[in-house]
Amino acid sequence: MANKIEKKELAVFVNKLLDKYEVIGPKKKKSQYVFEIISSPDDLELDYPTTILPLKKFLTPQKEDLITFNLNNSDVLEGPNLEKKQLLFGVHSCDLNSFPILDKVFTDENPCPRYAKRRENLILVALTCNEPNEYCFCKSMGTGPSPDSGYDLLLTDLGEEYLVESGSEVGESLFSLMDGKNAEDVDLKRKESIIESAESKFERQVNTKDLPEIFQKNLDHPIWMELGKKDLACAQCIHSCPTCYCYDVRDDINLNIDSSTRYREWDSCFLKEFAEVAMEGNYRKDRSSRVRQFMGHNLGWGGAEQYQIEKGRAKCVGCGRCIRACPVDIDITEVAATIRGDK
Amino acid sequence: MIDPFQLTKAVIKDVKFETKDTYTYTIQYSSEEIPPADEFKPGQFIEFSVFGVGEAPFSLSSLYRNKTFDTTIREVGDVTRFIHKCKIGDKVGIRGPYGRGWPVDEAKGKDVLLIAGGIGIAPLRPIIQEIVRNRDDYGRLEILYGARSPGERIFVDEFELWKHIPKTYLKSCVDCVPSGFSWSEKVGVVTILLEELLTQPKDSIVLTCGPEIMMHYVVKGLIDLQFSEDQVYISLERHMKCGVGQCGHCQIGPKYVCKDGPVFAYSEIKGLPDLII
Repeated sequence: MANKIEKKELAVFVNKLLDKYEVIGPKKKKSQYVFEIISSPDDLELDYPTTILPLKKFLTPQKEDLITFNLNNSDVLEGPNLEKKQLLFGVHSCDLNSFPILDKVFTDENPCPRYAKRRENLILVALTCNEPNEYCFCKSMGTGPSPDSGYDLLLTDLGEEYLVESGSEVGESLFSLMDGKNAEDVDLKRKESIIESAESKFERQVNTKDLPEIFQKNLDHPIWMELGKKDLACAQCIHSCPTCYCYDVRDDINLNIDSSTRYREWDSCFLKEFAEVAMEGNYRKDRSSRVRQFMGHNLGWGGAEQYQIEKGRAKCVGCGRCIRACPVDIDITEVAATIRGDK
Repeated sequence: MIDPFQLTKAVIKDVKFETKDTYTYTIQYSSEEIPPADEFKPGQFIEFSVFGVGEAPFSLSSLYRNKTFDTTIREVGDVTRFIHKCKIGDKVGIRGPYGRGWPVDEAKGKDVLLIAGGIGIAPLRPIIQEIVRNRDDYGRLEILYGARSPGERIFVDEFELWKHIPKTYLKSCVDCVPSGFSWSEKVGVVTILLEELLTQPKDSIVLTCGPEIMMHYVVKGLIDLQFSEDQVYISLERHMKCGVGQCGHCQIGPKYVCKDGPVFAYSEIKGLPDLII
């Protein structure tokens, strides 16, 4: 089902959403943009370029308690409360495509009840990306600039109006909250030409053909040593990656020494401690091997098979955040071209 | 939905001295709800929690029987140091068992060669117990065991028993013999025991566990002796923090040691990045 609403009607729609849900959308933060809880339609900045951090922070928070122990009798106390119903508004296609990967990790074989509950309570209102920025390469990764599925609603900015398409029953039910009229073929055609126009604006791309095989053949490529010399091991690429999900598990005792909390916290394969084992062993002691791990997992071996996503797709969704965040200009698209032999 | 981080309560039933830094703990579940017995397989691991300190993964070093299992732990860091302070009767938390263990079914009807280095014999002990329990299901059992010195071998009190299992051969070697120790067997790294190997590549299976560099040379030696890459199984060590394929710490290329392993046929992992083997 597809509808269209005038731009001025959007605020009315968002206000109705705010009555029912906790709405999270793109907001301005100094010169950049972030996804945060909004309290008014005026908070929304729908012309936003990619946000600083991806959406994983709402499903698997940076730090999260797992269990609390009572140390006096070793009883395990109850776990943390689960989150309420949330609606993500204005999600770009790259970020939307991170969900199937996170879902595979956190809800498949050994589901995490915290993630599963939040995910179940999440409504996704996506937004076609009309203006890819200089770091974006989603088109070449097959993840954008407009999604084919995975959303409850999809908005496309047609100029004076928004085209609104539903992708689920939940999405369909939201039509009752908006004062729209039926979209016509001409509107869908306008959407197609907007997508075409967006597609012509990409400055970066990755040739994904046979990438897993190319990575496997280039485990000894000199680029890993070169990047190892540049890398600061700051892990900004990992934290800003929508599909990097690794975490550390730690225990903290409270100061009364009567209870202890086990928590998990985002971790990064760029950090030296990540692959440490007993007896001071470390399987990725060198920075070069850690750069290779990040690149290989994102573009090489961590792809369609590992996450059961569309054939030919990689873990990387092409959002470009890792390139923008890198203080020493390591560029995943250049790495891919170099090991292919294109550079 | 059960939280993968939920612990099952257990108590330390017995502690046995192995070497100056290694003890075998017999763990008995104390909670009502425990994993079914058939979920325990030789070669798997559990996550062991000391309340208020932390959690770490350890191999099962025995078969599961009557709500109990053994795990053999060397003091190498903070969690293991605290575990070594634990006494009989202390409460602990257990998760698991996790992972893919040794290919027990595939070993049936074949000669079984076990090659272990140091504490690497711990995850192989349940295989020896399984063969004892169902002796007629397997062919010859040959055990090659290397350690740094005679005092660093574990399960030494069981060696006489193992030697008396029908059709079983146990050979040991040590890297060096410090003064004060007597030693009548070979001196050298474990691959010197391959020189007098009884097991033939035909109708046999090899299970090896030890430092990865040791397994590297063991696999090389076996390939030279015409063993194939898919009949040699290794058990890999990584720091599995979650045990359920999420935290990422045990990733080797596309494989997770915690759920795809820790046991792999050599052919399955050959050529992957960040391996010594």
